[in-house]
Amino acid sequence: MSIDMSQFYEVFFDESDELLAEAEHLLLGLDIQSPDMEDLNAIFRAAHSIKGGAATFGMMDMAEITHVLENLLDKIRKQEMALTAEHVDAFLAAKDVLKMQLDGHRLATAVDAEQVADVTMMLKGLSEGVAIAPVPTLTAPVAVPVAPTAAAVSAVAPAGLTRFCLDLPALNERDDRNLRDELGLLGSVSQRVLADGRSQWLLDTDSSADDILSICSFVIDVDQMRVSSEDTAPLEAVAAAAQNNIEARMEASPDTRTKSGVEVQEEMGYGLFETLEQDKVEEGYGFFAPFTPHPDAVVATMIGDETPLSAAVEAAQRTTQQAETSTERSTEKSIAKLSDKPVKKDNEKAASTAETTSIRVGVEKVDQLINLVGELVITQAMIEQRIAALDPVQHERLVNSAGQLMRNTRDLQEAVMSIRMMPMDFVFSRFPRMVRDLAGKLGKKVELVTQGASTELDKGLIERIVDPLTHLVRNSVDHGIELPEQRRARGKSETGQLTLSAAHKGGSIVIEVTDDGAGLNRERLLAKAQQNGLPVSENMSDAEVYQLIFAPGFSTAEAVTDVSGRGVGMDVVKRNITAMNGTVEIRSVPGWGTTISIALPLTLAILDGMSVSLGSNIYVIPLNLIVETLQPRTQDIKTVTGEGRMVHVRGEYLPIIALHSLFNHDTDITDPTQGVLVLIEAEGRKSALFVDGLVGQQQVVIKSLETNYRRVRGISGATIMGDGSVALILDVPAIIQMGQSHNYITGAAAYASRPPQTKEYTQ
Amino acid sequence: MTATSMATAASTTPSVAGEYLTFVLGEESYGIEILKVQEIRGYDTVTKIANTPAFIKGVVNLRGRIVPIVDLRIKFNLGKIEYDEFTVVIILNLGGRVVGIVVDGVSDVMALQQEHIRNVPELVSSIDTQYILGLATVEERMLILVDIERLMGSQEMELLDSVTVH
Repeated sequence: MSIDMSQFYEVFFDESDELLAEAEHLLLGLDIQSPDMEDLNAIFRAAHSIKGGAATFGMMDMAEITHVLENLLDKIRKQEMALTAEHVDAFLAAKDVLKMQLDGHRLATAVDAEQVADVTMMLKGLSEGVAIAPVPTLTAPVAVPVAPTAAAVSAVAPAGLTRFCLDLPALNERDDRNLRDELGLLGSVSQRVLADGRSQWLLDTDSSADDILSICSFVIDVDQMRVSSEDTAPLEAVAAAAQNNIEARMEASPDTRTKSGVEVQEEMGYGLFETLEQDKVEEGYGFFAPFTPHPDAVVATMIGDETPLSAAVEAAQRTTQQAETSTERSTEKSIAKLSDKPVKKDNEKAASTAETTSIRVGVEKVDQLINLVGELVITQAMIEQRIAALDPVQHERLVNSAGQLMRNTRDLQEAVMSIRMMPMDFVFSRFPRMVRDLAGKLGKKVELVTQGASTELDKGLIERIVDPLTHLVRNSVDHGIELPEQRRARGKSETGQLTLSAAHKGGSIVIEVTDDGAGLNRERLLAKAQQNGLPVSENMSDAEVYQLIFAPGFSTAEAVTDVSGRGVGMDVVKRNITAMNGTVEIRSVPGWGTTISIALPLTLAILDGMSVSLGSNIYVIPLNLIVETLQPRTQDIKTVTGEGRMVHVRGEYLPIIALHSLFNHDTDITDPTQGVLVLIEAEGRKSALFVDGLVGQQQVVIKSLETNYRRVRGISGATIMGDGSVALILDVPAIIQMGQSHNYITGAAAYASRPPQTKEYTQ
Repeated sequence: MTATSMATAASTTPSVAGEYLTFVLGEESYGIEILKVQEIRGYDTVTKIANTPAFIKGVVNLRGRIVPIVDLRIKFNLGKIEYDEFTVVIILNLGGRVVGIVVDGVSDVMALQQEHIRNVPELVSSIDTQYILGLATVEERMLILVDIERLMGSQEMELLDSVTVH
């Protein structure tokens, strides 16, 4: 089965756009002296959601930067670090970068790698710089240790080659040998081991920094290494290299680039990344220094632009008053100014094309549209009725026009309705890949089963359920399902099963994520809650204890991974679902698994219904809960003690629930043999609902009664029929329950002698 | 919007001067704040809701919205209860919740100054005096100014879930 991924990308882009906008809004409103924890949490969640989505779609560059961002935010959120103006600036810069990357993925616009790298470094610096008090000095400690090396050897670099300085983590012997072999193919290598086990390698090569990184990535984790070119300030290069590394990983075939020089890259162009590559050459990272500053420029800045690091450091020292901005920064700024123009132009062009493919409209507007079209259909039906009374020969043209109006109205109605409704498949189909990747990453075996993927759900709900479900699935795979060895030890099959299901149930849509993993550990949850200062006691019921996992920042995971464990996910889940008027329920059996059940109201879900008549009223029964309908013979109707009536169908005795007496309605038909019995089944219980007659089967749009009124027992919602009247939709499970718990006497006459059940509607 | 928030919204506006839509129930004249009125319609067929008090006539389709209709004549036991082409429904918009009320007739829109308005003495009536903002005298007639938002949000109207939404 092939799935068109583009629709999911589009949703992710839209969501991220929104999240970024929201995060920006919050950031701008943040009070630095006393930041609102709620706002910080919200920003953190936005970053987290983008990270999750980006990782799902393989946009590692975005995932990476949000990960760094998240780390820093987490520290601030937990008050391990005080919020400063620099932080906010950095966050805003990160937001801009993310937006740029997003547009890069979406519209294939150029991404300013330098800016990305700069921001990544800034964030990393900020989050590592717990001890370093004033933030702007962050570049100094990084720059100083490398400086002597650069100064010492820079003269020796052979002409035409660039000398790179690789700062590597401690390596074992085999990695060391492999790396030396690999790098040996690029150029000449020399190495020196530093005191802390880390090593510094010098490489003279004509390849670029990202080639080196892509080579190294076969052997070691490139996040732990740094590559700097001698010709440039190390910080800049490291940052650039980090970005290049991301790009290199993004590229489907990094090999094509490995041996090529920068000139070749320019020729190759890569289509999409052409501008980027050119920018890179223009900006140069100092490799070829094509950038010539204006001769009138401030001397200090000029030196920073053109001269190797040692000079730059000296320059910085000389101009102490400028130290805050740091030379690299000012350099980048001037470069950025130059390169800004082409990038912007591209963005604008691409943005205008994207606007035509998709627009995001408020749900309210769509609702209004649907309502108005509904009215139009009714008006059209009225016109048709009037016209039917006219002489068709005399009014031929009018009749023709009315016919056309009818067709157009119908098309319009269909088109408008289709805006909102979508099968759950839209959500479910994005998980197989995610589960597979996650399982692979965590070394687990997981089989994903989906049920009820055709259940249609309002688009608004579908979109909003994606995030919570993603979190739940991630959590289930990461924390729920155990490693194969553990599973075997517990006598379970090595492959864990993760089930996603959706179904209409008792007036709501129930979406469940079930895993057959370890289950929730009550003791650990309680201990953790106490540690977090939440009010808990040993007497709490299991359900209450399980609800603890929805508290913000609550996680029992021992380590924070980039999959989950920060305890943000569940907080988001709960919040999103509550916002949809839904509820989350957790069922768990230690050792056997966990089910997280989300119940959503079906405010605008579509329903296949059977309309039945009762006196002058029409009711709609959900078709999927109807087993069959029949007209009983007198001999099939049985009674117990002359009261509770039953019908004998296919060897089963089913209780008859007379809707007219249940709802206290007037009707002429009080004998089941004169009416129709609709056999309904819900929650494993069957009953025969006695109504006057069947009207027809149709799809109805469910409207909530609660918007302007309140909950009514036995009624799950209302719908508008073709003639504009309102029909109520029966809540079948509730009706079965009402029928069984009251054991009333069937028949209007008998019912009338009882007190009316006016206090029935609240549960 | 919950009943309590409706109540607080009302109590923060001590001045009752303003424009009122006046309507008739039996022999009495009532006034409600004009800004709470969305529109005035004729009485349409309603869909009855099972097991509700008699004054809740049912629900109607108001341009795609399901709107409950309350017959104030039944609720307060006033006027003749008949439904014909002259029966009037005032559609109220109370903080986003749309409710229709059936009355005997709509008379006028009046601008009332604070000096026209008198306090309500303690008395027993089927409208709790807490829902009456004041009494106004206009051309020898007494106008009962009703805090319709609080009245409709009240427990006795049974228009809201008794377990209010958080």
